[in-house]
Amino acid sequence: MPDFEERELVERAKEDPDAFGALYDRYFPQIYRFAYSRVHDQSLAEDVTSEVFFKALRNIRRYTYAGHPFSSWLYQITLNAVADHYRGQHGEVELEEGASLPSSEPSVVDEVVRRDRSRRVWSAIDQLPRHQRAAMVLKFGEDKKIEEIAQIMGKSAGAVKLLLHRGVERLRRELPPEFEAGLT
Amino acid sequence: MNDPELEELFQDPAHREVVDLLKMSRPAAPPLDADFRNYLRAKLMAEARRTLQPGASRRWFPFSLSPKVLAPAMAAVAAGFLVVLGIQIYLQNQSPSSMVAVDLSRIQNKTNVATAEPIVIPFSGPVDKDAVAKTVVIEPATSVTKQWVGDNLVIIPDHPLAPNTTYTVSLKTSPTASASNKPAVPSTPTVAPSPVTLHFTTVPAPIAPVVPPSFRSGNVSYGQESRLADAGTVFNGGWTPAGQLLLTRPAGQAGPGWPSPSATATASGPPTPKATTDIWLMSALSTPIRLVVPGGSFPAAAPSGGVFAAWLVTSSNGANLGIWDLQGNLQGTIATIDSLPDRAPVWVGSDRIAYVNQGRLLVVDTHGANVNTPPTQVQHGSLAGSPLGMLLAVESVAASKVIDLASGSPSPLPVGATGFAWSAKGDLAFVVPQPAGSDLYTAAEGKNAQHVASSPSGQTWSDLNWAPDAASLMLAGKPVGASSSSSRLMMINADGTGLRNFGSQQEYSSPQWSSHGDLVLFSRQDEAGGRAFWTANTAPSEADAAGKQAMAEVEKFMQARLQGDSTAAQESLDPAGQSAYRGGASTLLSPTGTKFDRYYPVTVQRTGSNPSKFLVALRIFVSRSGVQRSFFEEQLTLVLKDQRYLVDAVTSTPSVPLGHGPTVLSYEVVPTSSGYQVHVQFDADLRPETVTADTIQVKDADGKLVRAQITFDPDRHTATLTLPLRPGNTYELVVTTGVTDVNGVTMAVAYHAQVIGR
Repeated sequence: MPDFEERELVERAKEDPDAFGALYDRYFPQIYRFAYSRVHDQSLAEDVTSEVFFKALRNIRRYTYAGHPFSSWLYQITLNAVADHYRGQHGEVELEEGASLPSSEPSVVDEVVRRDRSRRVWSAIDQLPRHQRAAMVLKFGEDKKIEEIAQIMGKSAGAVKLLLHRGVERLRRELPPEFEAGLT
Repeated sequence: MNDPELEELFQDPAHREVVDLLKMSRPAAPPLDADFRNYLRAKLMAEARRTLQPGASRRWFPFSLSPKVLAPAMAAVAAGFLVVLGIQIYLQNQSPSSMVAVDLSRIQNKTNVATAEPIVIPFSGPVDKDAVAKTVVIEPATSVTKQWVGDNLVIIPDHPLAPNTTYTVSLKTSPTASASNKPAVPSTPTVAPSPVTLHFTTVPAPIAPVVPPSFRSGNVSYGQESRLADAGTVFNGGWTPAGQLLLTRPAGQAGPGWPSPSATATASGPPTPKATTDIWLMSALSTPIRLVVPGGSFPAAAPSGGVFAAWLVTSSNGANLGIWDLQGNLQGTIATIDSLPDRAPVWVGSDRIAYVNQGRLLVVDTHGANVNTPPTQVQHGSLAGSPLGMLLAVESVAASKVIDLASGSPSPLPVGATGFAWSAKGDLAFVVPQPAGSDLYTAAEGKNAQHVASSPSGQTWSDLNWAPDAASLMLAGKPVGASSSSSRLMMINADGTGLRNFGSQQEYSSPQWSSHGDLVLFSRQDEAGGRAFWTANTAPSEADAAGKQAMAEVEKFMQARLQGDSTAAQESLDPAGQSAYRGGASTLLSPTGTKFDRYYPVTVQRTGSNPSKFLVALRIFVSRSGVQRSFFEEQLTLVLKDQRYLVDAVTSTPSVPLGHGPTVLSYEVVPTSSGYQVHVQFDADLRPETVTADTIQVKDADGKLVRAQITFDPDRHTATLTLPLRPGNTYELVVTTGVTDVNGVTMAVAYHAQVIGR
């Protein structure tokens, strides 16, 4: 959808339920997919997606175009909804920057061996620290521009680049040797 | 790779291999229930059709009745927080077995009802909703929106209800087709023939007739200090608008009912909050009230709205920025940062929050959506937001500036500007360090900065904090190059005059005025070398202290009258006052068969230049058979005799029946920088076109009209007259019967009252 068409649709959606429905139809798949990528649970992803669109509905009158796609706003709400969910659960399972990926553990090794390369590398992404994982999913899973990812995550473009660089570097460094062999 | 961003970012062939694999692959599609997608769409569309109507929003109303919000609202009904009709009514039908009942037994005549709550009337079964809703009548006249949520009638006032007001809600009989005896519609009963009536009374308005209206920071002096001993170790904190404290403490410190920690506990130097701190709400005397954010740090109360922002550390190098209410309920997580927080978030108005993440300034709204700001690098520079919103003062790496969040445009400040502080009126103050001292600047609305004072040679200023009346600043002064142990608190007028010490002690810094102006929170070096938090009482001016004393006497006097204790009531009268009551100027006790039910002060004014004489107007409500029927007003003159205020004179108005048009609820005289404002508050929603200079007037002693500008705030039902008054002169406020409520009913009688220039 061209940018001006999306902006017009968003403006109409501030007063027109059908226009809001069109936005929902357009963005449901990617918001649900993104939510699922963060929580890995179908029921939870449904809860998060529901919360995202109800929040968007309640606040759409206050939304103003700031040079980024409307989806950036929805992604922001999604990230915050996921953060709220984990806040009540003693924090997301998180790796320190210096910690190793659990790829050398038998379960992950088995996974690597068992599945195809694509599945293997995305499984490894799931093990990255939270911010790295979000940046990687938005870049490689959702094809977002770095500037847009920065907007969504509330970070500078430089910080996003750093997260991506660290993410890729950790995948390269810590995936098992069999996997590296498969790359070449 | 076909992605210039990735090509630029990943030059190393080993990295490119990983990136290429990622680009060629996609995560597996998540499992999706198509029914869920359709179900969610249907729910959203229903909600969208209900809410996305032009003009549907009420800017003051804190609730939206989405299903998600309505559920707790309904739960609150059960808990008694909402206004629920408190009597049993039955809806007409032909068979008693099919009567629809409303269990409303709990809150008939409820008092202290909040002014911003919906009125929920639950019915036990289906009714003719249109017919029932049409019969609802509210007195005083109140514009409302009525909605049905299931079998509950939800009445939402279009503006907050008036305080100190007894409301009557009635459901009147309204013959409808479904209410007739036609047998064809037996299943849609409607309201019973007899009207159902409910009375409830809203919360009293804050009694602030003398303080803070007459609070002038220029008159304030240092009273006495006390250490926040019960708080134990405190890392940082500040005031809430209501005068409580939000403090960051080490995790696990004592709470209410627990043994107090050692009074010698000390703050331990600069704050190092990790996930080992908690945020507590405490009284101004440092009594722990409740733990509001376990694991939180750096709380910052919003200028209004009863919420605060704070950090919640989530890992060794990350934290979430959240908003909580003062009960400790998380309202939402609005941002994350990649480091441990080292400063409190900064409110810009009550709907935006600024913070710094890895040296980058970011601003979000209360829902977490980013607000566009020009790219700004901030290290340890000063950051402060105007409480009026939109303006953010920033000491960035490059320069100091004020950013207008509406336009995103920055306005430069003098080179070196730092230590920003915004007043409640929206004036910015800051200092510019000089080799031998400091220059103090102020900038109205952040523009046109004016140099107003320089520190004495050899002294530097920092820690600016405005007094609540925006007339004075408190600051910390110390010799150039000296340590903080030499710091002391000082006050200076906003125009740069009147520099004076606040207290005589050294080692004071970081002052923060409470919003009422009666306390100052500050930190002080303690004997162990750390920093501890203290408060200092501010000694009010003689007039303010006298006003408090006079009002305490009025309260004693009125309690005796409400209880019918003539002897106790007479103790508050001097001989002239006793003579006045005996002569029939007013009635000391309620006549037989009636009862003085309640009262509240309509106005309190210091009389002229004599600080020991006050004019206090009281509205006294009279009930008969347990129901308030009328009110009258007394104007008391209190004078100081033998160190006690006594009623020296009284006049009273005729009795006014309740429910006969709008009435004046209160009025207040407030000095301003350019003259005076007289705020006149009504109890009903008014037709704005009837609130004019013709219907609300102020006249001088000769009966001449004082020219005034008049504005009207429908949310507060308040007319404001801006006009010149001569200090010490007495004027008459006249509200004519031309003032009309939204139902077209005029005031029953004109209102006359005294206004005294101060």
